Amino acid sequence: MARTSPTPGQKIIYFIFIILGVAVLYTDINTKLFSGIKNNFQSLKISSVYVIKNISVNPVRDFIQLIQAKQKLMDENKELREKLDEAYLKNFLISKENTFYIDHTKMIKLINDNASTESFHLAKLGEINPNIFNCCDRHRIYIEILDKNKEDFIESSVFNLNGIIGQVVGNASQNEVILLTDTKSSIPIKNLKGDFFCNGIGSGKEGLISCNYSQLVWTGSHEIGESFYSSGLGGVYPKDIKVGELISIDIVDNSNTKLEIKLIASPLESDLFGVIKI
Amino acid sequence: MIKGFIKRIFLIFVVAYLDYKVALGLSEIYVVLPLTFLVYSFFLYRSVNNIGPFESFLTGLLVDLITNSYFGHNAILFCFASYLIDTYSNTFKLFSYLQICIFFGVSATAYVGFTQIILNLYNFSYMTLFISAIFNISFCIFVAMLSVYFPQIAGRKM
Repeated sequence: MARTSPTPGQKIIYFIFIILGVAVLYTDINTKLFSGIKNNFQSLKISSVYVIKNISVNPVRDFIQLIQAKQKLMDENKELREKLDEAYLKNFLISKENTFYIDHTKMIKLINDNASTESFHLAKLGEINPNIFNCCDRHRIYIEILDKNKEDFIESSVFNLNGIIGQVVGNASQNEVILLTDTKSSIPIKNLKGDFFCNGIGSGKEGLISCNYSQLVWTGSHEIGESFYSSGLGGVYPKDIKVGELISIDIVDNSNTKLEIKLIASPLESDLFGVIKI
Repeated sequence: MIKGFIKRIFLIFVVAYLDYKVALGLSEIYVVLPLTFLVYSFFLYRSVNNIGPFESFLTGLLVDLITNSYFGHNAILFCFASYLIDTYSNTFKLFSYLQICIFFGVSATAYVGFTQIILNLYNFSYMTLFISAIFNISFCIFVAMLSVYFPQIAGRKM
């Protein structure tokens, strides 16, 4: 039997649904109206996978572990590795701050003042879609902050073993993190000498941020491979943390230069993160 | 009808997962293959009855939810695909397989273009779009050729 083409009345219904879709899309892009639904679904998905894994995969894995002692040793090794990562993260600010070993007063201050570590939390990776680096301007991940006591983590900086990766923007059960490479992300950076400052804007590409400045305002020169550090301006990211290295200089016109900086930290490197509120 | 809808939704879930797995590899060669959209278009094309805008809209919203995309993105495109296929369902009978493959390949490319504009405006790439168009049309031709070698599968009702 032949299918009938839509009648004018049905075409109007199609039109209404398309208009409705456009309205929903516009609302979702410009507001956070549906973020609750999305976060709840992501939480449900992660929890379901966890429960299903616990019921189906884990018993089989435990059984195999009983048979293979070697596997147990490997797990212990992995656990030790995680502990080591955790220790690295806890000492992140000490180990990464470029002036720490030069300025001894900072060491004394850290010993006497433990304020920065009070707001430190460990977090585990909730969800990441590696495809975002190849298709999208929106680079987000979800993390699960451990031992959180109804604290507000919005605008807390997130880092892994190698450096800063982004900041928390969502406060649901799974915290949403905007990565430095997101086109809406911005991190204030400076050079090693501390005489050049700019905002590193996400490029929408994996591991790259860019920074625009005017030669009329700053007349100095840059070199490929030059290191850039967080300036601490804005109060979100800690200062003097190495962010990345300069890989290209693009002189757009007489008054505008664009620097492309390769980030040293990638969110794909580790499942464990540190979250700190300045 | 409900049974068919549930079956389609289940298959959409499976295909969306496959889409997620395949996308990473294909992006290395500047190709975007909207597998979920193509499979849904295929459902619409092979369906005995017209699938209305309501079901297309709901399916699109569900795909938006499971793929963590903006709400409305797939809903609009699924609705539009449903409209086009329902309108030209009888005209397709006059077309050759090649023409139908080109139609689906081009509509998949339009989907990619629209998606890039919404999700990836800052890095919009005509090269990705062009390569995807060739790949999508080739993919549709490949699927059409499969139906020649596996007529039992191709003859099944949706």
